Amino acid sequence: MMETYLAPLWISLRTVIVATAITFFLWIAAARWMTRYTGRLKSLIDAIFILPLVLPPTVVGLGLLLTFGKNGPIGQFLGLFDTTIVFTWWATVISAVTVAFPLMYMTARGAFEQVDTHVEDAARTLGASEWRLFWSVTMPMAWPGVAAATILSLARCLGEFGATLMLAGNIPGKTATIPVAIYFSIQEGDMNVALILVGIVLVIAFGSLAAMAYWKGKAYKARATMVNRENVE
Amino acid sequence: MLEVRVKRNLPGFKLDVAFSVDQEILAILGPSGSGKTMTLQCISGLIRPDEGYVNLNGKVLLDTSNKINLPARLRKVGFVFQNYALFPHLTVNQNIAYGIRHLDSNEINDRVAELLEKMNIPKLGERFPRQLSAGQQQRVAVARALAPEPEVLLLDEPFSALDSLVKERLQLELQVLHNFYRGIILFVTHDLTEGYKFSSKIAVFESGHIVQHDAKEKVITSPSNHTVARLVGFKNLMEGSVVKINRTAVTIDVPELGGNIKAIVPASTHLKINQRITVGVRPEYVQIKQQPGENTFYCTVDRIAEGVSSTNCYFHVNTVGVTRHYLMVILPRQDSDTLKEGQKRHLYLPPKHVVVITN
Repeated sequence: MMETYLAPLWISLRTVIVATAITFFLWIAAARWMTRYTGRLKSLIDAIFILPLVLPPTVVGLGLLLTFGKNGPIGQFLGLFDTTIVFTWWATVISAVTVAFPLMYMTARGAFEQVDTHVEDAARTLGASEWRLFWSVTMPMAWPGVAAATILSLARCLGEFGATLMLAGNIPGKTATIPVAIYFSIQEGDMNVALILVGIVLVIAFGSLAAMAYWKGKAYKARATMVNRENVE
Repeated sequence: MLEVRVKRNLPGFKLDVAFSVDQEILAILGPSGSGKTMTLQCISGLIRPDEGYVNLNGKVLLDTSNKINLPARLRKVGFVFQNYALFPHLTVNQNIAYGIRHLDSNEINDRVAELLEKMNIPKLGERFPRQLSAGQQQRVAVARALAPEPEVLLLDEPFSALDSLVKERLQLELQVLHNFYRGIILFVTHDLTEGYKFSSKIAVFESGHIVQHDAKEKVITSPSNHTVARLVGFKNLMEGSVVKINRTAVTIDVPELGGNIKAIVPASTHLKINQRITVGVRPEYVQIKQQPGENTFYCTVDRIAEGVSSTNCYFHVNTVGVTRHYLMVILPRQDSDTLKEGQKRHLYLPPKHVVVITN
């Protein structure tokens, strides 16, 4: 019986964590590349990155199916190694990344653009390589915005439904994430299961919001005490 | 020695400067938008000029004709930004240590402590930039730039963000800087007094070009042209033509003054009879005399603008001509207190302070 709830929870958690991590690093690569790229296609590439955000999830799902399916370009390539993505756990990850990436890309870009270029230039004159500059200056300075964008992407991964259903299907214990499981429970008239799964989602959502608030408050408190101590001296 | 030649073409602006600096402090003086900061950025490698050559103590940092362009991180050029650009998420100690992390930790600690001591902020090491005053931030920025022992230090408008009281104190303190810093210092400013106080030479920038580059005394006593003269405080500039030359004493006819004026010029000045020139007199050198005499003009007080320690008085010359010409005079408060608008006075322009500008 527990399996009914635990399996979707476990699948969702794994998907969310892996997909958010992939989204985060994909975004870093894209952001760094896009800040340097000044070619004519910049706005076109920008648009392509953001496209999945404005398309209906079913369209995104179909697009993924055509790309990763047996006859799709990536599907055919994977076929050479006897591997297939469609209707496997990895399909849930790919769907989640596809819809979360545009959100990450859009919301985190502002955080990067707000970093004072003089501060970055200062690091350069102090001998920092572009790599060190990025991790020691740009990233920490943009961190509040980047963290917010990451949490937003995480939420989007957790809530992903449409594209997941089309690419990963509903295979209990394998590809049925919480949102998918909720949908099929309701379809089968199993209201109790649906409600318990909803409860689990609410706990996760509130839990991450609370964790964020606590973490922020802690950072703030640490800084505040430091100021006070120095003022007393 | 630092040798700089840079050219950069932008829409509506052209930078084309060439100069060299010895182990000294050079002030780059000019109005905003004259290319001062851009020149510093070219030297430090933060922007690449279209054409250029930068050589620092024999090391070529940039040579576009030979495709050499060292990135900023390899140039060993210290840069203090106008807004100080400290790393907000790092403590003062970490800020200063940022450029020297290749040293071992004991050396880093020693160097940071030494710089804090020298910059007179020994107790601030654990603070974050937002907990510092603007003056303290500036000192941290200087310490951070000096930590990797750069061969040249570039300061971009270092005092523009400070209030006048802090500014004066910091200017004094920064003069101490070259007691322990042996490199070249380039210092950008739009304020003549600042540039004069802090430097040994001044390069005057005007819309992307250097119009004069000389010892600071020379720049303020014999500006090379009209623009420089205006920039360095010659409020009284008048057109005239040479009437008589007697070795270093030159007599010039200045219609705006309604007569002749005598000027003492350096022996190296080459002038011809009837040559059109500009004469300039700094307002603080004009004196009020009791009787008429040589270089003395009878004028009426037009307007008085009281300042805190001195007063700016605007006189107009009582000539028969149609156009009124104004002379600005800066008087100490004790002399100006009795002066009223509409009164007439004899103004004396001392010949050795009358400067002849030939172009």
